[in-house]
Amino acid sequence: MEKGKPDRTPELQDISTTDASAPAEGKVPSRSGIVGGLFLIGLSLIFIIGGFDLGLGIPTRLGTGAFPVITGLVVLTLSVFIFFDEIKGKGIAERPDWIGFVAILAAIGVFGLSAERFGLVPAAFLAVIIASLPDRSLPIIGKILLAIFVSAVSWLLFIELLNLPFKPVTVF
Amino acid sequence: MDIVLSFYQGLLVVLEPQNLIYCFIGVLLGTFIGVLPGIGSMAAISMILPLSFSLEPTSALVMIAGVYYGAEYGGSIASILMNIPGTPAASITAIEGYPLAKKGRAGVALFSTTAASFGGGMIGMIVIAVLSPSLAQLALSFGPADYFAVILLGLIAASVVSNGGALRGIAMVMTGLMLGTIGIDLTTGDLRFTMGIPELRDGVHIVIVAMGLFGVSELIASIRSNATGKAMQAIDYNDFYPSRAEWKSLFGPILRGSTIGSFFGALPGTGQTIAAAIAYAIEKRINPLRKKFGTGVVPGVAVPEAANNSATQTAFVPTMTLGVPGSPPMAIIIGALMIYGITPGPRLLTEEPDLFWGLVASFLVGNIMLVILNIPLIGIWVRLLQIPYKYMYPTIIVLICIGVYSLNNNVFDIWLTLIIGAVGYLMRLYRFEPAPLLLGFVLGPLMEEQLRRSMLLSRGDPMVFLERPISATLLAITLAILIFATVTTLRGYRLQRNMKRQNQTRQEGMNP
Repeated sequence: MEKGKPDRTPELQDISTTDASAPAEGKVPSRSGIVGGLFLIGLSLIFIIGGFDLGLGIPTRLGTGAFPVITGLVVLTLSVFIFFDEIKGKGIAERPDWIGFVAILAAIGVFGLSAERFGLVPAAFLAVIIASLPDRSLPIIGKILLAIFVSAVSWLLFIELLNLPFKPVTVF
Repeated sequence: MDIVLSFYQGLLVVLEPQNLIYCFIGVLLGTFIGVLPGIGSMAAISMILPLSFSLEPTSALVMIAGVYYGAEYGGSIASILMNIPGTPAASITAIEGYPLAKKGRAGVALFSTTAASFGGGMIGMIVIAVLSPSLAQLALSFGPADYFAVILLGLIAASVVSNGGALRGIAMVMTGLMLGTIGIDLTTGDLRFTMGIPELRDGVHIVIVAMGLFGVSELIASIRSNATGKAMQAIDYNDFYPSRAEWKSLFGPILRGSTIGSFFGALPGTGQTIAAAIAYAIEKRINPLRKKFGTGVVPGVAVPEAANNSATQTAFVPTMTLGVPGSPPMAIIIGALMIYGITPGPRLLTEEPDLFWGLVASFLVGNIMLVILNIPLIGIWVRLLQIPYKYMYPTIIVLICIGVYSLNNNVFDIWLTLIIGAVGYLMRLYRFEPAPLLLGFVLGPLMEEQLRRSMLLSRGDPMVFLERPISATLLAITLAILIFATVTTLRGYRLQRNMKRQNQTRQEGMNP
C-alpha cells in the first residue's frame, strides 16, 4: 500500500477482489474458511446440544433452549457452506502481524494481572512498555519515558480528576 | 409547526452548559479518533462508553453521537493528505481527495469536505426531525411479529453487504444472535451457557464485545500499517478556500449526496460507507465534470462526504423510532441506552422528548463545532497526524484497559476483553467481519423476546408472521435480499470458474 493507488482504495479492493485474482499487496493467500468454518461448526454444536438440554418448550411457550437451538442450526448450516466454499477455492487474507498480536494481548494481560495487585501506575507503566516492544524505532529509554508519561497522566486524569476506583500504587 | 417547537425545546436542552461541554468533548474526541488511521468510529464509541456511564442519559447520548459523526469529519483528513482513510467511509473521499492534494490543492479539498459534511449533516438532521415522529406513529401499531420481522430485515440487510461476502456476513449475524443468549434468560430466569462463571450471569457487556472486536483488533492491525511514516501532502494555506466557480459546483453534489446518504442511512442496517460509495458512483455518471472524475475534482470529494455525514445522522431514525440500529455503531448506542434503562422504540419520542429532541438539536450544535474544529483549527489535526504512531498505540491500549476495568471494577472483564480481542483479530485475518456479529449480539435478546411474544399471542402458530401485513411485507423484502445475494454469489462463482477454465486452456495452448 506504500505506493498509493489513488483510484482503488483498500475498501473497494476488498469488495472487488474476488478469490480468483492474485493477492494484493499486504495480503496473503489463505484457507481461512476451513478453520473458520470448522470453528463455527463446533461452536454452533455447543449451543444446539446445550439448547436441547435447557429445554425447547412448546411453540406457545418457547423454552430457554429454543432460541439457541434455532440460531445454532442456522449457523451450523451456513458454516458447512463456508467450509466447503473454501475447500474449493483459495481465499486471500490480510498479512498477519503476530508480533503486534502477542505484544498487545500481553500488555492487556499484564495490566489485568497487576491493576489490583500493584495499582494503576505500575500496571499502566508495564502495559506501555510491553505494547511498545515490537517497535524497534523507539529506543528503550524512549519507551520508559513514554511509560512514565502515560502512567502519570492516567493517575492524574483517572484517579485525581475522574475518581475511578483505582489505587495509584498498592504498598505491600 | 410541532416539529419546529420540539426542535426549539431540544435546542434549549443542548444549550445547557453541561450538555454543550459534553457535545464538544464528543465531537473533539470523535475527530481525534477519526484522524487516526485504522481506528474507526466503532472503536471510538466503545472507548468513550465507560466514561459516559456516570453522566445523565441526554449528556451521554449527545456525547456518544458527537463521537460518531465527529469521526466522519476527522476521517477525511488522513484520507486526503495521506491517502489512508481514517474511517472506512472516508476511503471514497480519498479517490478524489488525494489526487487534489497531490496537485497542491489539499486546502481546497479539506475545505470542501468540511462544507459538504456540514451540508450533509444539516440535511440529515432535517430528515430525522421530519421523518421520526411519523415513523414512530406508524411503529406504534407494530405487533411483536412485526418487530421480529423488522429486526430480521435489518440484520440481513446489514450482513449481506459485509466485506467478507454475504454468506459469512449472515453467518456472523447468526453467531451474534447465538452468543447473545449467554447469561440469564430474561423470560424464565434460567442461566444459559455461563459455564459456572458468575461474571457471565448478566451476559457479556456490550462495551467489552465492542472493545475487543474493534478496539483491540484494530489497534493490532494498525501498528504495522502506521509504522512506516507515510508521505503527507502539504497544505497551502493561501489556497484554502474554493474559487467562486468551485463553490457553485459544490451545491448540486452536496444536495444529491445528502439525499442519497439520508436514504441509505435511514434504511436499517446499511451504513455510511455504502451511502458514500453509491452517491459517488451516481455522481460520476451525472456530474458535468464526470470525465475528470478520478483525477481530483472538487465535486468528487464533496459527494461522498455529504452522503456519509447525512447517513450518519439519519441512521438515528430507525435506531430511535424502532429500536433497530441503522448502522453497526448504532447497535452500541442502543446497548448504551438500554444500560440507562431506556429502550429505544416508538414510545421514546413521547416518553423522553428531551432526550430525542436534545439529540436532534445537538446535531446542529455539534456540526457547527466541527466546522470550527476543521477549518480554523485544521493545523492542529495535521500536526497530530505527524505524531509517530509508536507513541499513540501503547497509550490507547492503557485507555482500553482502564475503560474496561471501570465498567464493573472487575479484572475478569479485562480477561474477557483479551479473549474477544484475540478472536476479533483472527476474525479480521480470516475475513469474518465483526460488525454483523455485534449487531446480532445486541439485538439477540430483543429478537428472542419478540419471537416468544408473537408465538404466545398466536397460540403457537408460526403462520402469524405471514398473516400480519406488515411482517409479511418485511419478510418478503428480507427474502428478496437473500435471493439477490445468493444469485450474485453464485454468479461470482461461475465467473471465477470460467476464468480459471480460460486460463487453463490458454496455458495448455501455450505448452502443448
